[in-house]
Amino acid sequence: MKRYLGELRAKLLADLASRTSRRDGIIHPLCRRLLARALRLPPDNDFMRDEWIDNDVGFDPEELERYQRGEQ
Amino acid sequence: MPSVANPDPKQTDGKQVTINRREGVETRNVLCATCDISCNVVAEVQKGRVVRVRSSDNPIFRDNICMKGALAPKAFAHPDRLMKPLKRVGERGSGQWEEVSWDAAIADIGARLQSIIKEHGPEAWAVSTSQWNTATDHGLGRRLMNHVGSPNWISGVALCAGNTAAINRMTYGWFPMADIVNTNCIVLFGHNPRRNSWVPIYSQIRRAQARGAKLIVLDPRRSSNAELADIWLPLRAGTDAAMCLGWLNVIINEELYDKKFVANWTVGFEELKERVTEFPLERVAKITGCDPEQIRAAARMYATTGPAVIPWTPITDMQRNSTSAIRLHSILRALCGNLDIPGGEALQGFHPDIIPESSIEMHEVLPPEQKAKQLGSDTHPAFTYRGQEKITACTKRVWGYEYANQVTGCFMANPSALFRAMAGEGPYPVKAFFALGNNTLLSYANMPLILKAMLNQDLVVVHEQFMTPTAQLADYVLPADSWLERPWLHDTFGWSSMVRPSEQSMDTPGACKSTFDVWKLLAGALDRPEVVPWSSIEEFYDYRLEGTGMNWQKFSKTYDVCFGPVEFRKYEKTGFATPSGKVELKSSVLEDLGFDPLPYFRDDPPADPDLPLMMFTGVREDEFFQTAQRHVPELRERKPEPLIFVSPKTANDYGIDEGDWVTISNHTGEIVMKAGIRNAMPDDLVRIPHGWWKPEMPQGLPGLSGALAHADAQLCPDDDEYLDREQGIPHLKGIPCRLRRCEPPVEAMR
Repeated sequence: MKRYLGELRAKLLADLASRTSRRDGIIHPLCRRLLARALRLPPDNDFMRDEWIDNDVGFDPEELERYQRGEQ
Repeated sequence: MPSVANPDPKQTDGKQVTINRREGVETRNVLCATCDISCNVVAEVQKGRVVRVRSSDNPIFRDNICMKGALAPKAFAHPDRLMKPLKRVGERGSGQWEEVSWDAAIADIGARLQSIIKEHGPEAWAVSTSQWNTATDHGLGRRLMNHVGSPNWISGVALCAGNTAAINRMTYGWFPMADIVNTNCIVLFGHNPRRNSWVPIYSQIRRAQARGAKLIVLDPRRSSNAELADIWLPLRAGTDAAMCLGWLNVIINEELYDKKFVANWTVGFEELKERVTEFPLERVAKITGCDPEQIRAAARMYATTGPAVIPWTPITDMQRNSTSAIRLHSILRALCGNLDIPGGEALQGFHPDIIPESSIEMHEVLPPEQKAKQLGSDTHPAFTYRGQEKITACTKRVWGYEYANQVTGCFMANPSALFRAMAGEGPYPVKAFFALGNNTLLSYANMPLILKAMLNQDLVVVHEQFMTPTAQLADYVLPADSWLERPWLHDTFGWSSMVRPSEQSMDTPGACKSTFDVWKLLAGALDRPEVVPWSSIEEFYDYRLEGTGMNWQKFSKTYDVCFGPVEFRKYEKTGFATPSGKVELKSSVLEDLGFDPLPYFRDDPPADPDLPLMMFTGVREDEFFQTAQRHVPELRERKPEPLIFVSPKTANDYGIDEGDWVTISNHTGEIVMKAGIRNAMPDDLVRIPHGWWKPEMPQGLPGLSGALAHADAQLCPDDDEYLDREQGIPHLKGIPCRLRRCEPPVEAMR
């Protein structure tokens, strides 16, 4: 019984992941919200926080143009 | 840095501060190919440029981004990016080039390659690629080579995952993927996923630990994962196989294995049982340097807290006993009942509706007499045609494909044997060498041999984004596109049934072209245009996706991930894809090839008093993937110089202070690096970072942008004592060396 419950749980999780990974239809936003809530980490133990990544805002297109031309 | 015009209030709750909205920004869903993990990320596009790469909006992939990926817009906008085909005009390695058109380059390359093939045979043409860089290869390189008649294709996967795939198949016919999401116990053999390296694996491990899963780490260093482990076994570098034999000794003697599975689904248990009696814990403790009671505790934890996983690790791939150690991982998985169950090791075929790259490769057209010429297959056949063809009928029976290739590692030539042939020391000459997205010179063992091999070629063609040390030795350097500039259909290299699309985010700059384009153009130049008949990569993807009922455009707009069907214990219906149909604890394939069919441990050669220390290499640093990214200012600022790590005692023994420059040398070569003193390192072991060169240094010989002074491959031997017997891959985890303080190199003084 334990084996089948484990397999059922894993299949349900895979199904949820599959629905979350589509961008069409009406169910996927709901699945995304559900999964986002389930996967949210507690702020005091959020091991994915990283100062460099969290503060990255990318570049300006002009900044990249200048860089590509060797101007900075 | 830009100002943020319109922060999304929903996304500024402290969790997703990185997701902001800017005026005029469009987004594309892409797969980051900065490393081979391929994280789902979002590219923000403004005025036709990717200006930012950030974490995916899909919660499955949230935060799966590292600093290397985030800096990709700048990395690919670097002023030294190759934009036009270059033809060598001086001596090889002189650094003298002229710009030419693609038409002129391909016409000359085709004519010269045809001439070499006419004189020496098709086997005189060799190719080396790394598939994450050359993402749009999709097996087309193998396809063209197979039609032309050359079996001599190599890749970095020969010592990183591809070889693991090939060896796993000898035990149970397929290469499994660890289901960390559902597991109760994770075993890391030297692998050390972190926040900025192997990000999704790091995230999955930490999440599993947060819900109570156990973590066992085997690593000579007190790594960041070791610090978080339930059990840390600080084993001596390169002794993974002995450790696994010790675990099996405990698991079998204490009857902790899955008796029903062993009785019904394995062959060779009694022989294996006899073999592991040769490895009592006292002996294993002596070999590995670990406490026998800790070894026993770890074996018990793995066997009793299942489902458990031993995820693939690049560490075990690179050892003298790699074949045995990889097989021992497989055997532990099988004996403890972890195969193809939730939280265990998933055996998935290819996606049933999408044409796999294995079919694109068309290995069936390469004649048997050409397959027999594959270099290295006589002495080290495990992942060559000779080794893998013994299970092609089995993979056809179970998984539907005769030449099923996983992680592109199942029908490769042996790299060391190839380089010897290129250097004129092989059974026949190899005179044309193509490297696509692969910094060959720095990516395999015995760099002095590779240099000699490249200098002995009649034609060297390199397809690259930057002028790497390998490119500096080419006749032609062809400018390559990047993952921001091309569409991509990623099938996890056949490792799982998961398929993901990546949208093109910006126009390809200059005259850069994709690997798909290179193979298509070359097929035409070799008078074989029918081999690559698709007019564009989108048309090629349409062909591969036909079974889904979608074309590329629709598929890429519909999916972040297209999963294959989820099924467990499929072997109960099909058997395993081995000659016996069962898990072969005693491998009939290895026995047929003339090797010990049971796993074993081969100790180090006798110690050399001139080389009193041991080193290990192959290490990935947060800032760099393999030999790339040294040109990115932000990353070099964090890590300006190659840095070895030694323990305080070792540093003291050699009179080395933090930040001193040192030479590290052995009988293969000598390099210089800076020294870092770390408490986490064991005594007498030196950690060497992988793949160093300095793009800012002079190109061409004699220095090759610092590669000859700094690349770890200069120190990696590939003579028999340092090669795994069955595969012929090098031992990179425990190489004898010496250390000496030295003056800083000239470039570091500036």
